[in-house]
Amino acid sequence: MAEKKQARLTKVLDYLKHDDPFSKGVAFCPGCGLELLLRFIPRVLGNDIVITGTPSCSAPVLLGQNNQSWHTLSYFGTLMTGAAANATGLARYYRKAGIDNTVVCFNGDGTANDIGFGNLSGAAERNEPFIYICYDNEGYMNTGIQKSGTTPFGATTTTTPYGSVHKGKNLRRMNLGLKMAMNKIPYTATATLSDLEDLARKLLKAKEAKERGFCFLHVFAPCPTGWGADPANTIEICRRAVKTNYFPLWEAENGRIRMTKTVKKPKPVSTYTELMKKFNHMTEADIKILQDDVEYEYCLLGGLSVLEAECQLPVSAKDQGEAS
Amino acid sequence: MSSNHYFKHEGPWSDAGDPLMCTDTGDWRTKRPVVDKEKCIFCGFCAIYCPIQVMEMQSDTHFEANLDFCKGCGICAKECPKGAITMISEGEFVS
Repeated sequence: MAEKKQARLTKVLDYLKHDDPFSKGVAFCPGCGLELLLRFIPRVLGNDIVITGTPSCSAPVLLGQNNQSWHTLSYFGTLMTGAAANATGLARYYRKAGIDNTVVCFNGDGTANDIGFGNLSGAAERNEPFIYICYDNEGYMNTGIQKSGTTPFGATTTTTPYGSVHKGKNLRRMNLGLKMAMNKIPYTATATLSDLEDLARKLLKAKEAKERGFCFLHVFAPCPTGWGADPANTIEICRRAVKTNYFPLWEAENGRIRMTKTVKKPKPVSTYTELMKKFNHMTEADIKILQDDVEYEYCLLGGLSVLEAECQLPVSAKDQGEAS
Repeated sequence: MSSNHYFKHEGPWSDAGDPLMCTDTGDWRTKRPVVDKEKCIFCGFCAIYCPIQVMEMQSDTHFEANLDFCKGCGICAKECPKGAITMISEGEFVS
């Protein structure tokens, strides 16, 4: 214990160039992944961003309560059905007025994948110049932990309970990131909280790519309250989700998928599911279904990223991809 | 009523003069992170992973939690590569 004080600070702190616009005591649950993400975004992108958002766990804090605010950012609260459409209006206004600004549409997976997906899809088609960030906590946590489209197979929520009839959710989860990458938008990426350097790099890349059009970030943010996990395990859950390929990290520029982190020996998905109560009831057979699903999605992703290297795209499409 | 006497940090409600709302999240805590200054190698992992961002640098030697706002989730203790942070029950500190 003699030679120990080498001041070798983590590189992530270099990315945190700006002040934290939030007040210290903010009403999020202890160990909330969303709070870490929400404080991280303006510290990387700058405090001059405009956030638009919808009713979600982030809304009470972003919108403020009782005529008072929790933060110093600009926020525009909208309905879940029109999240991306409102951000479109803001982004177009700033473009027409000649104001250099970053519009961040910050929503949960319920808005992005279920209720507001039509808008999101439309904004991606029109290639609107803003950043859409979906924090994925795999359910409607703010209203009392209901299942959403990204809730994985077997997870218990209040609408897919475990009992004599139902054994948790019996449907597979949807892969939102891949769906958006298929739209060939300038930038799509998945990120998680265990690898903050990767997240910061992707945020900055999105800010740059926003000049060319729509950017989509899918961030995996665990909810200790809703998942029945120990708050101390929030980061560990993210780490294991990456290590088991449950949530692979990749990015796609103009629809070209590239893995940003490849796991050499993926661990079985049971090392991930054991950390939380929502998977407690799952039998070997159930875990097998989830494992197959994870492997299927990873194979799909791997195939697409290999395809990029091996498959010769038609010249016209290639030129278009680089120009747009 | 211009001031709130119940909480140390909670501002008077419905007062536009008060810039930011702030809750005493420190009193939610049941366990307190205690940093072992000898073991701390000043890597900063506790500071970046803390959701509330309360791990503050103490003169380039170690990190210390701001106990006014620490919610006691225990992420810092879990993520510390040297195990320098222990979560100790708040009951131990009641005098």
